[in-house]
Formats: sequence, C-alpha cells, structure tokens
Amino acid sequence: MRVLIVDDEALARGRLQALLARDNSHEVVAEADSGESCLKLVAKHRPDVVLLDIRMPGMDGIETARHLAALDDPPAVIFVTAYDAFAIEAFDAQAVGYLLKPVRGERLAEALRRAARPTRPQLSALGGKGGARRRWIATRLGDALRLIPVDTIQYFQADQKYVTVHHEGGADLIDESLKELAAEFGDEFVRIHRNALVALKCVAAVERDAQGRLRAYLEGRPDGLAVSRRYAPQVRKRVKKG
Amino acid sequence: MGSSEQSEPRRSDGLFLPDFCSARVVLAVVLLAELVAILLTLARYEAGEQFWDNLARISLFLLWCTLLSAGLLCAARSSFAARGPAATSLAALGIVLASVAVVSAGAWWMGRAWQGLPALLAGADTGRLPVFMSTNMLIAAIVTGLLLRYFWVAAQWRREVREEARSRIRALQARIRPHFLFNSMNTIAALTRTDPKRAEEAVEDLSDLFRASLSDATSTVTLKEELELSRIYQRIEEHRLGDRLAVEWRIASLPLRARIPALSVQPLLENAIYHGIEPLQGGGTIVIEGSYDAARGVIELTIENPLAEPLAGGAARREGNHMALDNLRQRFALAWGGRASVQAGPSGQHYRVVLRFPAEVSA
Repeated sequence: MRVLIVDDEALARGRLQALLARDNSHEVVAEADSGESCLKLVAKHRPDVVLLDIRMPGMDGIETARHLAALDDPPAVIFVTAYDAFAIEAFDAQAVGYLLKPVRGERLAEALRRAARPTRPQLSALGGKGGARRRWIATRLGDALRLIPVDTIQYFQADQKYVTVHHEGGADLIDESLKELAAEFGDEFVRIHRNALVALKCVAAVERDAQGRLRAYLEGRPDGLAVSRRYAPQVRKRVKKG
Repeated sequence: MGSSEQSEPRRSDGLFLPDFCSARVVLAVVLLAELVAILLTLARYEAGEQFWDNLARISLFLLWCTLLSAGLLCAARSSFAARGPAATSLAALGIVLASVAVVSAGAWWMGRAWQGLPALLAGADTGRLPVFMSTNMLIAAIVTGLLLRYFWVAAQWRREVREEARSRIRALQARIRPHFLFNSMNTIAALTRTDPKRAEEAVEDLSDLFRASLSDATSTVTLKEELELSRIYQRIEEHRLGDRLAVEWRIASLPLRARIPALSVQPLLENAIYHGIEPLQGGGTIVIEGSYDAARGVIELTIENPLAEPLAGGAARREGNHMALDNLRQRFALAWGGRASVQAGPSGQHYRVVLRFPAEVSA
C-alpha cells in the first residue's frame, strides 16, 4: 500500500518509516509535518493510507481527516496518538482505526490490513468529543483542497443546491449545509435568514431600509443582507451583545 | 506531618488520642480539669456556701485524677498504636475510671483519717464509700466519653484533610505523566535504532525524572537540584521537538543552595512546553529568569512562554495547568505561609508565572 506519514515530530515519523521498511508490501510515498502539508501531499501522491498524528500545531489530525473525507476518493486514515483519553474513547465508540505510540510493528501491520476510511458521521463525532471546531473550511479545486481560514469568512449564503462562502479572498462554493455550519460555528456566526449565516464580528449594523425591511449591513458591503422576521429577535440580541 | 504517619496511615487508627506525654497536651488537660471543677462547683453551689473553698477542694481532687490518668495514658501509648479505635477508646476509658476510683478511695480514707481537716469533698466525710466512688466514676465516664468522641472526630477530620491533599497530589502526578511518558517512550523507540547513544541518554534522563516524581510530595530539595531536574526534562523534550524548543536560562544570580519544594520548577517548564511551544508550528523560546534580592533574602523566579492557541484536547489540559498552579500555591503556602507567592497570567504576547519565596538554606 502507498502510505503517507503525518506527524509534527521528526523522530515519530522516522519510527513509522522504519517500521514500514521492515515489510516490503508498503511504500511510504511522502512525509508531512502538518495537517496543511498533508492535504497538499495527498492531492499530489494519492496515497492509499494516511497515518495521521492527532496533536499537531496548526491543523490537528481530526480536522485534517475531516477535510480528507470531503475528497471524491479519500485515502483511508489511521490515527496515531500518544495519549488523548478523549480521543481514544471516541475511536473505540466510533470504530475508527487508531494506533497508540510507541507503535508496535504488528499492530501497525494489522491496522494497515484493516485500513478503512472514516465516515463523515464518525469524524464529526470525533470532533464533537474534543469540542474542536474546524479552523478551516475546505473547498474543492479538482483533486486538491483549498483551505479558507474560518476567521476570514464574512458569511455563508445558500441558493438551490450549493452554499457559497464569502470571505476576504473572494467567494467559493462548498458542499455543506447551512444547518450543519450553524451548529458547528454557532458561537461566532448568526443565522439571519433561511439562506444566510453571518459572522457576528462582520456585522456593522442591523437597520430597516427604505421599504421598511430589516437588513444586516456588513463591513465593506453596502448592499446588506435580508434579515427574516423569524430570525430578527435573535439577530438583534446577539449583534447588540457582540 | 511525621514520616511514620505518612508511610503507614493505618497504624494511626489507634493513635487518634493526643500524645499525653507532651507538656502541651498535659497543660490542655489540666485546664480542662479546671473547667470541669468550676462546672461541678457551680452545680452544687447554694447561697451561703463558700464557693472558693469548694472550688479548691474539687480542683485538687480532679487534678489528681487527671494527672494520674494522663501519666497512665502516656505509659500505655505505645500499646495503643497497634490497636483499633474501639479497643483504644475502651482502654482509655478504663484507665480514667481506674484513676478516679483510686483517687476517690484515697480521698475518702484521708477524710476519715484526719477528722479535723476540712473535708476534701462534699460527701467524702459523711457518705459511704461506694456511693462516693460510683458518683465520681459516673461523672468521669461521661466527661471522658465526650472527650474521646471529640478526639475521634478531630482525628478523622485531620486524616481526611491529609488524605485529600495526598490524593490531589497523586491525581496531579497522574495527570501530567501519560502524555509525556508515551511520547518519550516513542522517542526512545525511534532513537534505539538510529542513534543508540542518544537513546541511552534519554533512558537515563527519564529514569532520573521519574525517580524525582516518585519522591515524597512534601519534601524539599535545593534549587540546584530542582533546576538540574528541569534541565533533564528539557533534554528529553529536545529530542522530540528538535529546533522548535529553545529555553533561555538566566539564573546566574540565584543562590543555588536555597531550598524549594521538590518538583516546583519542572512542572512549570512542562506546562510552558505543552501550552506554549507544542501548539506553535515554528516553535518558540521559553525564558527562565531568576533574581535574588540579598537584602530581603527573597528569590524571584519567572517562567515565560509564548501564548498559543490550545491543541486538540486543550480544554482538559487547561484545567491541568490550573491544577499544577493551585498545587504549587498550596505547597508554597505550606512551606512558607504568606512569605511566598505564585502569580500566573498572560502578559502581552506571553504567559508568565512568577514564583517568589524566601531564600532559606536549611530544610
């Protein structure tokens, strides 16, 4: 199998590399030292399996796996962790493949034999246990993923089929529902309409326009977004507070 | 906290009584006897009687009873150590009752022998011996019973406080260890093939660190030893984090013979690495700075790390950080009372912990 090793610690990567070298049936196609570079290398090398450390600076292993799961043909993921009580519980509960450091050769072989892709429900359950929100939203560009930091997102807007992310760098289509996004990012974003979810920090004002309809005006966007009657009380309350 | 109590907590079951061999306890018991004497005198007081004479006689009687009991309890203390609380209580009650009986009999005979002397106790000169004795013994039994109950409750309370402190320390040690332990083991596993010499060093360092962490949580070490331990810890983490970890030591002015509770600096360095360095992709620098105010005899030690966003599982670790600090505060308070302090908080782009404590050379 073609394997990608992801760990922020060089010695930990070296150890997995050495274990895999004992067995001719596996080939290490690349090593990555962060979640971000993992996503790039997956697009480039198309590995069958990713050995993914959980505790990494920047994008952690669980978020990396969630982005990987959005690919058309995602690699199987085996998580590797030293000691994260919450994660181990969650893995067991969700039947997701994981290995504990220091990794034993035979366990690694066994895990590779059974390597499977974690499903989206499994991954969101893992994320939920740790209370970790994603810090990036991924959009697909062919095989590759483009990452949009959540801090730079101004609002999400839904039309018939897709959701558009409007961010500092432009606008991109994503394949997620507003409802899920609202649940995940409810602390920093507020639903203003059935079709729009807005970053609280970007709301400059909530006012009535000439026709008497309530609109939310975002910084740098003079046109404003419609606020529906249903969400109006909640929007007023949260904007005032923020 | 005596070492015997620490090593064998079960043994202290029978030792819930205070040590009647110590002068402080004897003084307390004498004062208590005087209070009971006043109580008895007041209870029997009728207008026209001589209050002070009665008080003097009852006091004299009670002091004999008390001192005899205390003496016997002191002598019997060593045999209490091996017994349970019920046996100890019964034995103590028996000793007190026997003392009261002996002193009562003595007082009664004295009263008969010297008819001319003022009666030692109301009733001693007129009443019959069995009545006199049983009244006194009943009073003694009630007072002793109350006291035994009080000693038992007080001892239980003290033990609970001690147990709680100990279990918190244990919980803290358990909380810090796993992540570090397994990562270090992984490091050693990786080094064993590629660099056996460094692997050997790492095993030695890890052993030193664990030996220190198994030592008594209330013991003190010299500043030199504690800083040495922190450097050992730093070495292990350097294998793992490589260039991402830099520690700047500015401790030239510290009096290295001063004593400090064991494991007070190392856990702070551990926190600084865990919260400040690991979450940063490029790593960072931890600064450990010490200064010594010779005029006031105060040492100040500052540990500073860059502020970073927590990694996965960060919420639970944050709690761990507070536990480490609370624990350190408690141990500093235990060692120095109000003369030491532990301050922690963000300062600009850094997180800073400041320890202040008196420089004391002896333990």
